Formats: sequence, structure tokens, C-alpha cells
Amino acid sequence: KFKPFETSNSSAYPNAENSHLAAVLIQQWYRQYVARMEMRRRYTWHIFQSIEYSGEQAQIKLYNFLGYLMDNFTPSSDERKLISHIFRENEVCRDAEWERYFCYKNIEVPDIYSGPRLRFPLTAEQAVGLLEAFRNKKQQLHSRYVLQLLLETWKLLRMLPNISRIATCHSKEITICGDLHGQLEDLLLIFYKNGPPSLEKPYVFNGDFVDRGKDSMEILLILFAFLLVYPTEVHLNRGNHEDHIINLRYGFTKEVLSKYKMHGKRILKLLQKIFSWLPLAAVIDQKVLVLHGGISDSTASFCAVRFGASRRSSASWPPINDALTNPRVINPPPGLNRLLRLSVITRRSCKSGPSDPLRFGRPRDGRLSFCRLQRLGSIKAALGGSNLNLESQCVLLCSILDLLWSDPMSQDGCIPNELRGGGCYWGPDVTRDFLSKHNLQLIVRSHECKQDGYEFCHNRKVLTLFSASNYYDVGSNRGAYVKLGPDLLPYVVQYQASSMTRELTAQQRYVGQTERSALKVLREQLFSHKSDLVWAFKAFDSDDTGLLSVTDWATAVESVMRLGLPWRMLRSQLVGGKSGDGLIDYRRWFDELAIKGETRSCLLETLYRHRSTLETIFRIVDTNNSGFISPSDFRQTWKLLSVYLKMEITDEAISELAVAIDSNRDGAIDIDEFMEAFRLTDKKSRLERGRSMFMATAPDLAALDPDERV
Amino acid sequence: MAPKKDPRAPIKKAEPAAAPAAAPAPAPAPAPAPKARPVDLSAVKVEFTADQMEDYREAFGLFDRVGDNKVAYNQIADIMRALGQNPTNKDVNKLLGSPSAEEMANKRVTFEGFLPMLQTIINSPNKAGYEDYVEGLRVFDKEGNGTVMGAELRIVLSTLGEKLNEAEIDALMAGQEDENGCINYEAFVKHIMSV
Repeated sequence: KFKPFETSNSSAYPNAENSHLAAVLIQQWYRQYVARMEMRRRYTWHIFQSIEYSGEQAQIKLYNFLGYLMDNFTPSSDERKLISHIFRENEVCRDAEWERYFCYKNIEVPDIYSGPRLRFPLTAEQAVGLLEAFRNKKQQLHSRYVLQLLLETWKLLRMLPNISRIATCHSKEITICGDLHGQLEDLLLIFYKNGPPSLEKPYVFNGDFVDRGKDSMEILLILFAFLLVYPTEVHLNRGNHEDHIINLRYGFTKEVLSKYKMHGKRILKLLQKIFSWLPLAAVIDQKVLVLHGGISDSTASFCAVRFGASRRSSASWPPINDALTNPRVINPPPGLNRLLRLSVITRRSCKSGPSDPLRFGRPRDGRLSFCRLQRLGSIKAALGGSNLNLESQCVLLCSILDLLWSDPMSQDGCIPNELRGGGCYWGPDVTRDFLSKHNLQLIVRSHECKQDGYEFCHNRKVLTLFSASNYYDVGSNRGAYVKLGPDLLPYVVQYQASSMTRELTAQQRYVGQTERSALKVLREQLFSHKSDLVWAFKAFDSDDTGLLSVTDWATAVESVMRLGLPWRMLRSQLVGGKSGDGLIDYRRWFDELAIKGETRSCLLETLYRHRSTLETIFRIVDTNNSGFISPSDFRQTWKLLSVYLKMEITDEAISELAVAIDSNRDGAIDIDEFMEAFRLTDKKSRLERGRSMFMATAPDLAALDPDERV
Repeated sequence: MAPKKDPRAPIKKAEPAAAPAAAPAPAPAPAPAPKARPVDLSAVKVEFTADQMEDYREAFGLFDRVGDNKVAYNQIADIMRALGQNPTNKDVNKLLGSPSAEEMANKRVTFEGFLPMLQTIINSPNKAGYEDYVEGLRVFDKEGNGTVMGAELRIVLSTLGEKLNEAEIDALMAGQEDENGCINYEAFVKHIMSV
């Protein structure tokens, strides 16, 4: 039994023995407390991360589906017509014509506009002025200047090589920043701590500037402004979110349309071009490679060429011998061919390419049908070098995907990244070989959120850098940037854009608050899989008692959700009551999560689960990015969806749904309003309006109150 | 690193050790042998139920940051604490055979290796409850009025036992001292046991 304390006289000093015991007791308790908090923090993190990645996976699945449609529906079919525009290459292709389309000159700026008025060529003062306007006065740049700035940026980017070559010289330190994801606060904090870009202060921004956060536009404008002012000191790498299709899902498209009601469509189109022209990587002093996602065992060939080639040449490429034996060329990961078709390719604009969309054959007996690749004329032009054979082109395209989507893993080898749906997982052996082959010493990449804002792996040869603090929720993680001097030793600076200081009480608050957010999101997910879960539960509950053991419950849940979460640990937070003998009443459990206005449970549940995909499809169908779709397109979209979900959605069901929506504007359906229908009502706590991991993340866009004239 | 949910390295589900289904926490065994002799883990009989094993496996998995289904020596104490145990660092060091600092950081143990360690700690007699904590703090209640001086507690925690550092003490005592620098320890214990 525990050794009791000897009671001491109240006036005497406690004896040494008791003091010691008491101290140990308190210390033990404290350490246990910290460990428990740490565990809760970890599984909270897991929840957010699993759900984030499964969202990305869903996106790739959507790509696959759209590609499947293109392959299997006749060109005249309604379904295909709805979406074929995103594959269309017969748009105006010549740059001069595009410049006319994007012309800003007849956009008038009213006198009442008090924001920055830009004069080109931009000066440093103007770039800093832009910073001030966004930070202090929370102004929005007028669309005329936005278009002008974007046009200049586009012109500049077209002249840059695929891989930027940077040199530290004298005592210049280079600052590298990771994902920003529309979080302007973090960018401002970095510039405050480190100073904005200048001749003495070169920067590399490593992709994922947009989506999820609410100020993606402002971040882009700032980065592009400094790029124009200091083109040799500022370097931008493309991230996987610099992609107009991804933006449909993750909020950037919505942000632009909301902030720029009149000219948003043109702005988006121009941004689409700019994204495809962003460089893919940067090399510092020929020793440090900076890129958004990572490498794979096949990027060796790609990079070999680019490192060797001089900056502006389009030199012919040496033959790539291993292309045909590379298993990832022969048997590409499922999302690859579709994804490539959509957005990654256009490093250079096509020159009157074929009007067919690009077609990759489905692998037959394990090999790509290269004859189908014949139609890749536009890829050829896109790569700017006619000497590349088709296999080499394919390897190249695999490489581009890898550069933007891959993640490191701890085991040796290189395997497809099924979690994300694109790119690969690469191991320490791949890093080792890659670095030695190209005489490099370090890879700096981003793409993954890290609690401390950064993390080394692969024997400190790979550094992950993430600059969006509080990414999952307030207090979830710090952000970081890294500085490299001529010695090329990384020096990491961390920060957190929050008024909270990191005390234990704040930590407590964070764990509690973020945990609640994560659980809220998780409950949503669980609810949206209700039918599948019930089916899985019944498989364990053959006597139909409605009760399950914890183990069976956890196994069933994981088999449906596939999120790899510690369900047993989460059980007490997810499931309210249980019966006396420790069993879970699963029927009562679902009563706790009720969707409001539920009539047809099965259809609605399925739609709720796929609401993000649904929204993305709507936005794709909305070809001119107006935010509205016509009733007939609305119906067509449902037909499309019913194919995707492999379930029947009757005309009657569609009519009911349409009736539920307030139509305005000549019967056109407001996409935002429609999506509002899918809000989960949790009896314990109402979901906050707008703040969902799965929709455009911008909390209240309405609160921005955009200037109608802008 | 790649997130845990990962097709390449599924957590190996070892057969649960043969365990009597009825037994929850086993009765305390006699205290382990004197300090000099390392604990013989192979002699420890693991008596967890299947449910408990699954719970422990989950917690273990959460602390595995590398993805090799193992955890480092320097994480063992924390995992045990996360599972509701209260070992001192000294207890754990003894279990691990008094490893060097380098071993603590680099040596790793599997789930199966972890279980007898956990069992040993569960078997050991130090189980403090609310009353014990209050008693422990009462030791410093000079005036017998239900409060202790925050300053005194700080000195004790940083100089005795398994010392806490300043940041840890600050965190522990944040918001607990009243305007006179005193802590009502019963309320304090209630608070710390409630989170």
C-alpha cells in the first residue's frame, strides 16, 4: 500500500523524508498529466491529418471519374459536354490573344477607391505599400490593378526556366518559406520577423500559397509584387494547390469570385495560366534542392537534364534509358494519367495543338499503349523540345507529379502514394542515391503540416518546412521558415500567429478546443457513412441485439472509415452512453448525430458524404465561374453524379432537391446556397457556419463585405 | 513523415498473450528486487485482457513516430503515463536496465517487449489517489489552514525528487496562486485530477 506521510507539527518544518516524497508525488502526477495531454494532442492531429489526406484522395478519385467519363461517353452525350471544357485544348492559344482577353485598360477605378493605385514598373515602395494596405487597412486591391499585376507576372514567369538556379554570394542569407495556404497573418509575421524581400534578402516560397485560408488572393498579390520588383531575389515554386481544379474544391476559386464579383472569372483564368508557368523547383548553390513535394526514383532522369542545361536553353534531352523498365511508367498509379491531362502539363503554351483532349490509354497487360500517346502533340509542344521520345515524355510527366505530391517515408524504396492519390512515398535510400547522383547535400520541401513547423528526416538530408501556423486549428502547430547562408547550414525560425502564448493553461485550452473541433469533424464523417457503418455493425451483431463490444465496434468503424485512427481511445468522446456491461448501443449512437430536415436518409447521407465532390462538380459545370448553374445543367449534374456514385437518383428526387432551394436570377441555382443544405446538426453542438474542413475554408466570406464596384 | 495510416506497414497484430479473461488489474506483487539487479522481464507474467491489450496497442501506435512498430526507450515512461500509470523516471530506467543517454535516444522496443515492462509497473505498489496528493501537499501547510506557499512549492519541486525545470513548474502552477502567493491545495488537487 502507499506509504503514508508522517504528520508533522504544524509549526515545525516538514521533515526531509516527507518533503522528498511529496515532491516526487507531485512531479509524478505532473509528468503523467503531460503525457496524457501529449497523447490527446497526437490523436487530434491524426484526425485532422487523416481527413485532410482523404480529402485529397477524393479529389484524385474525382479526376479519375472525369477521365473515365471522357473515355467512355460519346462526345455528344450530355454528361461529357458538361465537363469537356476542362479538357479542351482548342481555346485561344496564342499569348497575344490572351493578353487582349485579360486587358485591364478599360476597367475604371472610381475616385472613391482608397486602396493602392499601382504604377508599372512596380517599385519597392509600392510593394511595401501593398503589404501595408493589406495588413493595416485591410483593403482590397482593385481588379484593374489585380489584372495588370497578374499580366506582368505572367509575362515574367514565361521567361523563367523550370528550375531556378540561385546563388548565395558574399554574406547573403536565403530565406525559404513553406506552405502558406491563404494565411496572410503568417506571411506578415514572417516579413515582420525577417524583413520583406529585397536585394539583400532573397526568398524562396515553396508552393501552396492558396486554398483553405481566407486571404489567398492577398498572398499571391504580395508575392507577385515582390517577384516583379526583385525578379532575381524572389523565387516561387509551384505547389500541388497551384492548380485550378484543386482550387475548385479547396476554396480559392470561391474566394476570388467572392472578392471580385465582376472580374473574378478573368482573374481566375489568368491565374490558371500563371500557375502552370510557375517554376517547379529551385537549386541553391548547386547543393540544396528546394521543391514542394519531393522526389522519386524516376526524377533522377528529369533533374539530370535540367541541372545540366543552361537556364534558357531548350536543349535536346539525352535519351532516358530506363523509361521502359521503370515500373511506374509501365504501370502508372491510377490517378496519374487523368491528373496530368488536367493541369500539370502546360509548362509552355500549346501551339495550335490537336483539339482532342489528351488521351492516355488505360494500361493493358501492364503496358501503356504508346500508340495512343501519338496524340500527345500538345505535350510535345508543352515540353518545348521536339527531341523527346514519348516514353521520355511520360517519365517526365511522372516526375512533375512526383515533384509536387510526394512524401518521404521511413522505409527504403519508392511506392505510389495512395493516401494522396498522386506522387509517391520515397525512402532514405532514394534520397541517398539522388543526392549523390546530382552532387547535392540537402532537400528542402513542404507539403506536410508539422507540429513544430519543420521536421528533418532521412538522416537530416530532407527538411520539411511548413509556414502556415495554426493550420488545423488555433494552436495546432507552429509555422517555420529556414535561413541558409553561404555555409548552407539550415537555421530554422519558428513562430505562431496567435496572441496565445504557449503556457500550460494555453496548452490545455488548445488541446481541449482543438480536440473538440477535431471530434466535431470526425462525427460529421461518421454520420455521413451511417449506412455503411450500420451494415458493418450488423455483421458483428448477428443476434441483432443492437449492442457491440468495444473491440468489434472499433474494428467495424475502421473497416468503413479507413482513417487509421485510434478508435478505442476516441470512443469515449464519440459515443455518449454505453450500457452497464461496457457494450455500445450503436443504434442510439446515430440519434446523436442528426442532419436537419432529413427526409430521404440514404440519398441525403450519400450526398452529404460526397458534398465536397458535389460542390467541385458544380463548379466545374459552372463554366464561366458565375456561381450559378442553370436548372438543366443542375439536372445533368445529378445524372453525372448518379453514375459516379453508382446509385440511382431519380428525377423526382432531383425535383425535390431543387424545390428546397431558393432560386433567384431567372431560375438559376446558386451553388453556395445549395451547398448550405448540407450542414450537420450535432445535438451536442451546432457546427459553426462556414468553418468546415471540407468546404471552402474561408469562414465568413460574407463578413468581408466586398466593394461591389471592385 | 508519411502519416501513420499506411498500407506498407500494417501494425502487426500479434496473438494476444494467453490471459485469463476475468482478471482486470492483477493484485500487487511484491516490490521488485533491490536496485543493483536489473529487472528480469522475461520472468514477468503478462496478464492483460484482450481489451486492455488493444487499448495499449493503440496508445503504443500513437507514439511510434517512425512507423517501424516500435518506440524509443525515452518514450516508454510517457506511454505508461498516458495509460494511467505513474512510474518515476528512476523506475523506468531500472526496467530498461539503466541505459546510457545514447541508448535512451536510439534503442527501440516492440509492443511485445513493452508489455512486460508495463506489467511490472502496474504490479508495483505505488498507487496514489486524491487523498495521497492532498496529504503530500499538506506536508507544506505550515499554518494548517489549507494553503501552501507557492514559492516554497517551487523550491521543493525544483530541488527535490525528480526535479522539474522552471518552465514545467510555471506550467504546473499557472493560475493557481492567489494574490498572496498561496495555493489552496485541495482545490489544486481537484483541478489537476480533473483534466
